[in-house]
Amino acid sequence: MGVARLKKAELYYHKSVHEEIAAALQESGACQIISTAEENSAPPSEIEALISQTDDKLSDIRYLSRTLTPHYVDPIPALDRMLGERPEVTMQELAELSSQTDLKKICEQVREIERETGDVRMKLSEARMNESLLSSLGFFHYPLSVITEGTRTLTGLIGTLKAENVNGFRAALGDFSKFLNETELVIAPFNEKDKAQEVYAALIYSRNIESEVRELCAKNGLSVIDVPSVFAGTVDEEKEKYSASITELEAKEQELSAKMSEAADAYVPTVQKLSDYYVSLSGRYNEMARSYETDCTMLTKFWVPTSKADELKQKIEEISTDIELVMSNPAPDDEPPSLLNNGDTVRPFNILTELYSSPTYRGIDPTPLLAPFFWIFFGMCLGDAGYAIVVFCTILYVFKKYKKIPSGVKEFIRLFLFCSVSTFIYGVISGSFFGNFIDSFVPVLIPFKNSLMLVDPMTNPMQVLGISLLLGVIHLMFGLLIAAYDKLRHGEFINALGNDISWFLLIVGLCLFGVGLGGMLPPHFVQIGQGMAGLGAVIIFLYAGKGEPNYFKKIINGFLALYGSTSYLGDILSYSRLLALGFGSAVIGMVINLLGGLAADIPYVGWVIAIIVIVGGHIFSIAINILGSFVHPLRLQYVEFFGKFYSGGGEPFTPLTLSQEFVNVKA
Amino acid sequence: MLGLSLALFGAALAAALAGIGSAIGIGVAGGAAAGVMTEDPNKFGSCLILQALPGTQGIYGLLIAFFVLNKLGLLGGAGAVDLTWNQGLQILASCLPIAVVGWYSAIWQGKTSAASIQMISKKPEAMGKAIILPAMVETYAVLALLTSILMLMGVQVG
Repeated sequence: MGVARLKKAELYYHKSVHEEIAAALQESGACQIISTAEENSAPPSEIEALISQTDDKLSDIRYLSRTLTPHYVDPIPALDRMLGERPEVTMQELAELSSQTDLKKICEQVREIERETGDVRMKLSEARMNESLLSSLGFFHYPLSVITEGTRTLTGLIGTLKAENVNGFRAALGDFSKFLNETELVIAPFNEKDKAQEVYAALIYSRNIESEVRELCAKNGLSVIDVPSVFAGTVDEEKEKYSASITELEAKEQELSAKMSEAADAYVPTVQKLSDYYVSLSGRYNEMARSYETDCTMLTKFWVPTSKADELKQKIEEISTDIELVMSNPAPDDEPPSLLNNGDTVRPFNILTELYSSPTYRGIDPTPLLAPFFWIFFGMCLGDAGYAIVVFCTILYVFKKYKKIPSGVKEFIRLFLFCSVSTFIYGVISGSFFGNFIDSFVPVLIPFKNSLMLVDPMTNPMQVLGISLLLGVIHLMFGLLIAAYDKLRHGEFINALGNDISWFLLIVGLCLFGVGLGGMLPPHFVQIGQGMAGLGAVIIFLYAGKGEPNYFKKIINGFLALYGSTSYLGDILSYSRLLALGFGSAVIGMVINLLGGLAADIPYVGWVIAIIVIVGGHIFSIAINILGSFVHPLRLQYVEFFGKFYSGGGEPFTPLTLSQEFVNVKA
Repeated sequence: MLGLSLALFGAALAAALAGIGSAIGIGVAGGAAAGVMTEDPNKFGSCLILQALPGTQGIYGLLIAFFVLNKLGLLGGAGAVDLTWNQGLQILASCLPIAVVGWYSAIWQGKTSAASIQMISKKPEAMGKAIILPAMVETYAVLALLTSILMLMGVQVG
């Protein structure tokens, strides 16, 4: 239980076996390498070469996976993949696969397809642009060579102008060529009413007045467009040519895309396997590069959990006899990383602690302390026996179907499996089964349901509010006691008394006092409560003034500290959310049943709609309420509970492991 | 009939204002989520959870509205109960905490969610903290919900 004990290992070995050692350390998955090399010093030469080799391979792999993955349809559904349904390979097989695969050649092949595709796309976009230009030039019946090349005496231009300028342009042109008769203007048909539309116009004129014509165009609002010089025939001829070439290019593009998909199907599985292989190797060499070297030997230091130390030692000593492995306990000035080590029942809750912050190596692991509270709180927030059964059965089904779920995901799912049990219990004692399903649809069972009910939030919410706040007081007081224990452990008796025990006395005393006055406890509890609260308040008052020489300031500090009790009031009231969220899921369930009941009154199809509404509605309700029931109890742990004794701040234990992004790799 | 109208007005405010707040909050968070996903589409799952957080206020509002309708006998075939205008006003007052607090807290929770989404785009491992920050805002919506429920239960009708 708690934070796992670690050993600091120093491994001295001959350079000839450094690869075997590195592999053994990584495959054990239990060693976090400690840097022994000096800052910025070059890695040992043997390793440096290996690093550059793997980096080379990795850059090819990244290129392939970036290019091919968008074309790849994964035969394994994403959910299955997440739940561990992936190919299983060993490092040995991966090494063989790597030696059989010519990555460079594959890259070459893929690059070639990519280059051709780019080429075809460029041609295609040019052809489409030309085609769209041609379709606007339908009004021009001469061969386009008149414009692009011209004849000995004539040339021409094509441009656009605004519809409202057409008449002005005609008039200007008329004035200009009145006597010359050297120009011909062709204007595309256009809609007289739409003044702002751009109208295409072509102008043919004698070569010797080229500059005058251009000047005239610029003055009168005709902007000349570039006609591609490849246009020679009439518009219709050219159009035919381009539509033929577009069809051809599109076919080519499709063919290339098919080729790419083919390549993706052929290579992506291999690339994914090799990706895991080389990422593993790269991680391995980069970590080992932090070793210390002499001419012939190397020294690697690492942390290893005490529980795995012997097994590891045995494995390493099998490799060679020229090895010295020294294991020692962490020195007082070492800051070892922390690894949570909890039994089967607490382990699923580890993630809650890790999401906040890992404990320090010598600190308290709060996981076993928060687990029972989180379990109860979650149950109260979701609080529905029907929902609990759905969650429970779904998880059992997942566990039955998927046997290779990665351990992190599995623990997280198990957290919900556990919490569905508390949800079921609270659902039964508060009489909630898919909301008020029993009351609405199966009245036969009402007496049975009622006989199991201990609390009724619907008719007597004050009772559940009281329970919620009481749980809050217990939770907070437990936090204070842990804080006091932690301080006593370090010999800080006065601090424990002043910061934690005093508040414990004050609040528990006040509760006893209040409950005693309410008549729920024998009257002498009132006196006990008074005494405890009084003692607590005095200690708080005195402790706050400690170390302050000025008596006036002593008194001020004392009162300020007592004023801090308002924050405890806030903390305790915060637990009213347990009632509110439980109420929320019950009422949402009730609303769904009500809507279902209303839908059932529709003639003929009513029952179908009712089933859809009830099933769909409850699935929605489960999803949204699980989110709330996870987040809010977690907040109570983080803010109210951890606030009393826990700040985390440890560095999590991150051992050197094999990369398993795409496949399950075995050592 | 003034009593019934006042009570219905309260139910409408609870569902509408809290719903508006949630819609704005989810919208703000959704914008941030879309931005983050242009960089890394794999964050869809965590972004969606953070985006959904400001949605609860709308549900709380709906919950109170149904609570009122149920109390008034408007659900099912029983027919509406008789209310004095005073009782109607009491129900209207009971709806106000979740209506107003739901409205505002959802908007601010949405902003916090958006900031949290930005945070996980840089530090995906901080998901736990990213969820807790918006949940801090929601506390007040939960308290308002509780107040509304307790007030409604206290109002005697029929």
